[in-house]
Formats: sequence, C-alpha cells, structure tokens
Amino acid sequence: MHLLLVEDDSELARQTSLWLSEAGHTSVWRDKGRTALIALSQEAFDAVILDVGLPDMDGFEVVEQMRARGFGLPVLFLTARDNVNDRVRGLKAGGDDYVTKPFAVEELMARLEALQRRSGSTPAPSARTLGKWTLDPIKRRLRSGDESVELQPREWTLLEVMLANEGRILTKKFLLEKVWDIQFDPGTNVVDAMICRLRRKIDAPGAVSHLQTIRGKGYVIQALP
Amino acid sequence: MLSKLFPERMPSTWRLGLLLAVLMVCSTALCITVAGWAVRRNLSSIAKAVVLDDLGEYAVFYNRNGLKELRDVFAAGGHDLDQAVRITAADGSTLFEQIPPAVSGYAWPRQPPGKLRPKEALLMQIPHQSKAHEILAGCQLLDDGNTLWFGRTDAEDRAYEDHIRNQLWVAGLVSAVFMLLPLAWFARHVLRPVQEMMISTRKLAEGNTNARLVAPNAVPELQAFATAFNDGLDRIDALTDELQSANDNLAHELRTPLARVRGNLETFHDHTDNDIARDSAARGLEEIDRAADLVQTILTTRAGEHKALKLHLEICDLCQLLADMHDLYKAAAEERSQRLHLEASASCFALIDRQRLNQAIANLLDNALAYTPKGGAITLALEVQSEHVRILVRDTGPGLSAADLTKIWSRFTRGSAATANTPGMGLGLSLVHAIAHAHNGQSGCENRLEGGAEFWIKLPAGDPLASANGV
Repeated sequence: MHLLLVEDDSELARQTSLWLSEAGHTSVWRDKGRTALIALSQEAFDAVILDVGLPDMDGFEVVEQMRARGFGLPVLFLTARDNVNDRVRGLKAGGDDYVTKPFAVEELMARLEALQRRSGSTPAPSARTLGKWTLDPIKRRLRSGDESVELQPREWTLLEVMLANEGRILTKKFLLEKVWDIQFDPGTNVVDAMICRLRRKIDAPGAVSHLQTIRGKGYVIQALP
Repeated sequence: MLSKLFPERMPSTWRLGLLLAVLMVCSTALCITVAGWAVRRNLSSIAKAVVLDDLGEYAVFYNRNGLKELRDVFAAGGHDLDQAVRITAADGSTLFEQIPPAVSGYAWPRQPPGKLRPKEALLMQIPHQSKAHEILAGCQLLDDGNTLWFGRTDAEDRAYEDHIRNQLWVAGLVSAVFMLLPLAWFARHVLRPVQEMMISTRKLAEGNTNARLVAPNAVPELQAFATAFNDGLDRIDALTDELQSANDNLAHELRTPLARVRGNLETFHDHTDNDIARDSAARGLEEIDRAADLVQTILTTRAGEHKALKLHLEICDLCQLLADMHDLYKAAAEERSQRLHLEASASCFALIDRQRLNQAIANLLDNALAYTPKGGAITLALEVQSEHVRILVRDTGPGLSAADLTKIWSRFTRGSAATANTPGMGLGLSLVHAIAHAHNGQSGCENRLEGGAEFWIKLPAGDPLASANGV
C-alpha cells in the first residue's frame, strides 16, 4: 500500500513510517493539514493515516475538505482523544476508522488492512479451516469427521475476527472492540479467559495451540500450527 | 412577620390581595370616622347659631307686637318639620305652644335651667322620649316676664351626615377597586416571571445546562437578578468548557509521549533476539497500556465530577446491555470458579452513553470478581421501577466495613478488604460515581444481610424518546 501519513509529532511519524516500511508499505509523511491536502492532489495514495490534532487545522476538517474535493480513499484517524463523541465526529466527517494513542503497531496494521479490504482492493481472506477443523458458519460450529464442537455466539465472533487477521498479533483493545463492541479495557482479564476457553475447545490435547498469547502485545491465531 | 398570617401554600397574589383589601377597609373606615366627626362639629355650631338667631328674632316680634305676631311669623316660616316654639309663664305653665307633629315627643323643661337675665339666651339639649333624635332648644326672658322657648331638631343634620357617610363608603369601595390594579401588575410583572424562573431552575436541576432564566416583562430587579444569574451560569459553562479542553489537552500531552515510548519499546520488542530483553519490553508495554488507561480514568472521573463529561447518548436496552456484560465476564468468572448470574428479563430502554455505562458496570464487576472468593456467586441484576432503574451487582465477598461505606467512593480509596494482590488503584468506584452522576443518576452500596456487598447504579427512568428530544 502507498500511504499518506499526516502527523505533527515527528518521533511518532518516524516510528510509524518505520513500521509501515517493515510491513511492506510505502508512505509519505506530512506534518500539517494544508500540506497533506496538497500531497493528496499530487500523488495517488491507497489510504491516509491522519492525526486529529494538527497545528493548522484539525483532522476532521482535513477529511471534510478531502471529501469535498472528491478524494474517496479510506482514512484512519490517529488521536490522543479517547471519547465516543470524537469517534463519532470523526466518522461523521468522513473518516473510516479510529486508533487512539498510545497504539500498538499490530492494531494499526490490522485496521489498515481492514480498510483496504473494505475499499475492495484485496478480497477478504477466507480461512475456512483451522487445523483439523472445518468451519461451518451457518451452524456456528467446527467439524472434523464425526467430531463437532459447538461455539457460543461470542466465541464464534472471536474466532472469525482472529481468522480474518490470521497470523497477525491482535491487541486486547482491538478484540474488545471488534468482538464485544467495548472501547475500554476492563480490569478483569476477560479476553484472556475467553481465549482460554476457545483454546480448550479447538486445541487437541498435548498439541501446540492454534491460539498464542504474546505477552505485552496480544493474541495471534495460526490456522496451521 | 406578615408571612405567618397566611396559610403556607397560599399564592402570593392572594396574600397581597387580602392585605390590600384589609388595608382599604381600615383606611375607608378611618376616613369616615374622621370626616363624620368633623361634619358633626360643624353642623352643631351652625345649629347653635340658627337657634340663637331665631330665638332672638321671635323675642323681638313678641315684645313688639304680642303673641299674634309671633304666631304669624312662625306659621309663615313653614318649619313644620323641625322647629317648635312655646311660651311659658314664670310659674312654668304653658301659655302658648306651637309644636308640629314631627317635632313632638320631647320633654320640654318647665323652667329655664338657671336664672335668666333679660336679653340673655340659654341653650340646652332635649332628648326624644323614644327616638335617638334631639332638640337643640334655647330660652329667653321676654319683656312681660314670660319665657320664650325655641327648639330645632337635629333630624336634618343627621340625614345630612348619613348622606355624607354613604358617599364616603362608595368612594372608598371604588378606590379599593383601583387599589387592586397593582395586584394585576404584580401578577404580570413579578409573579409570572418568578414562576418562569422556577421552571428554568428546575430544568437546570434536571441537568439541562443550557436552560437560562428569562424575564421579558419582569420588574427591573428581577431582570437584573436573571441577568446576574445567567452570567453566573455562562461563567460556569465557560469553566466547564475550559476544563473539558484542558482535559483534552492534558490527554494529548500525556498520550503522545506515551505513544512515542510505546512505539520505541514495541520496535525493540519485535527486533531483539534476547528473550530476557523481550520479556522486559513486554512488561513495559503492559505498564504503558495501564498508564494510558489510568490517565483516561482520571480524566473521565474529573470531568464527571464537574459535570463536564461529554456523553454520547443513545437509546439502549439496558437488559441487552447487561446481558452483553454478563457474556463478557462469564468466562472470567468461570475461570475463578465463581458463578455469575444475570437477573434481567424485561426490556428497559433508556437514553445513555453505552460505552461509559458499560465501563461503570465493568468496574463494579471487576470489584465483585476480585473480592469474591472461589465458589462464590455474583449477580448482575436489573431492577425496573416507575421512577428509576437500578443496575445491581451483588457479591458474596467479605462485604464492607462501616468506614468503607462512607469513603469508598472517593478517588484513590480502596476498601478495607483490599490486599496487595487485589488489582486497582482505588479509582474504579469514583469512576462509577462520576458516570452515574453524569447520567443524572446515583451510585451506592450496602452490605447484604446474607453476606457480601451490593453495589448499584440508579438511573432516572422515563420515556427515552421524550428525554432524547429534550437533549
């Protein structure tokens, strides 16, 4: 992907550019809304990563002007303000997704990829098998020969979200939002507990788990362990 | 002092009306008394002059031309209604008497009250035998030694006085009606604006911070009051906005450096081959995430306490919301061998900030899970009543000490059952309190008789659509 990164904090911009290039993307960095709009008219980008708090105009305005000028490319907001009103305002202004600082590199990547998928550039990966299991989305269960495991609705959603980002580390925050629609981190290890439960259902005893916990970062699923 | 005169709930218009009516009656009565007294004094001096005058004239006629002349003059005067004349001899016997029927019935004295000198007249009052009327009579010694008596009743004076009194009453009543005009003025320019202000303040109390006092027709004092009050509210609003933007800035100032540190740490984590270093980085990442959450919690709590929390209100089914929370915590509770029950069956729609309320409930559940021993039970319940709904979290933990019950809601206070291993910094309940407060609700806790504690969030109930229109 070719990305436009609009961020006034140079250190964050440097890190983000580094991550993007490590993930195989190219990016152009601008530190003001006005220069970002100029860059947009000069080059074709696949998506924009846009900081809300810019020195000359806020990110919402940049998106409004972008949309008014006919740029339809996906926009991912990057912001230090964590409240639903801002989130809604950003989405209303024409943004597509929202990442709050401090953020994990995986979260940024997962969301970027989701944006890319949504804009139709690449088809959604449809991993319909998980080790020995075949997924049955209609009945929400896993089958393997005569064996079958029923999943509860949330367990199924969790599995789907993880499979859609197979091989990528997903942060707790990302899972809470995508699976439970919760935008805060509860004090109790609710995600851990749910992952453990899912693990018990899908992993063969003694085998390496499909679901790995990466300390400090999140969880990752491998269809083939 | 005056307020004690009236029933407690009597509206002020009625109070003022009653006061004015009483004052009018008193002042009219006073006017009539004073005016009546003055008129009576004047009339009686006029009456004396008339009697002395007539007496003198009749004496002259008699002395000059005898009884016939006196009789003719008296008859010609036409005083049938109020005057009488008589002549008595020195021994008191009546020689002549001209007393018309209207003037009859008075007990004339037989002799003058004292020794009369020639030309001298004496006045006296003779009461009527049955009526309240009196005669003012005078007597004078005639040249032939007889005594001339002349009397005049006060019937006419009394009628005159009565007439004046009646007129004064009419004038008093008419002026009383005019004096009630200020009442209409009072109702329009004082009472109604005050009532409108009451409605506005009630709206304010209900949390509509945009409400302002309006007093278009009010008296200047009330208008000044409303202006001063509104200025105060504007200032509070400005302060709230300031606090809000200060919060936003603070969040920005803290989150951006955290993001920088986290980014570098994450890069380090991903690129190091040293397991020990990677583990340290992972712990560092966890701590940074915790710190970011803490910053957010402090800001939310602070904003909530100052009513500066921006809510994103939407209509939600509380029953569904609780079911989702139950769903979220079920696995974690099972992991700890605790049972998590849900007692919410009937749908109950309310206008709430779903994420914030979720967060408040999550905080209560976090506490319940942390303090309930293995094998214990936790209940998440919804209690719907006509005026409010309560979200309850009951546990079978150690309960709360008396000291906990009062101070547990303040920031950085942890309950007495907390140990070094119990997670949290004592911010959870103050956040719950702040979020409940921001929803115009309350939060509270008590010990259960069966053991354990019960925490609740009380939210005002009512038609969410109606309240949605009001926001």
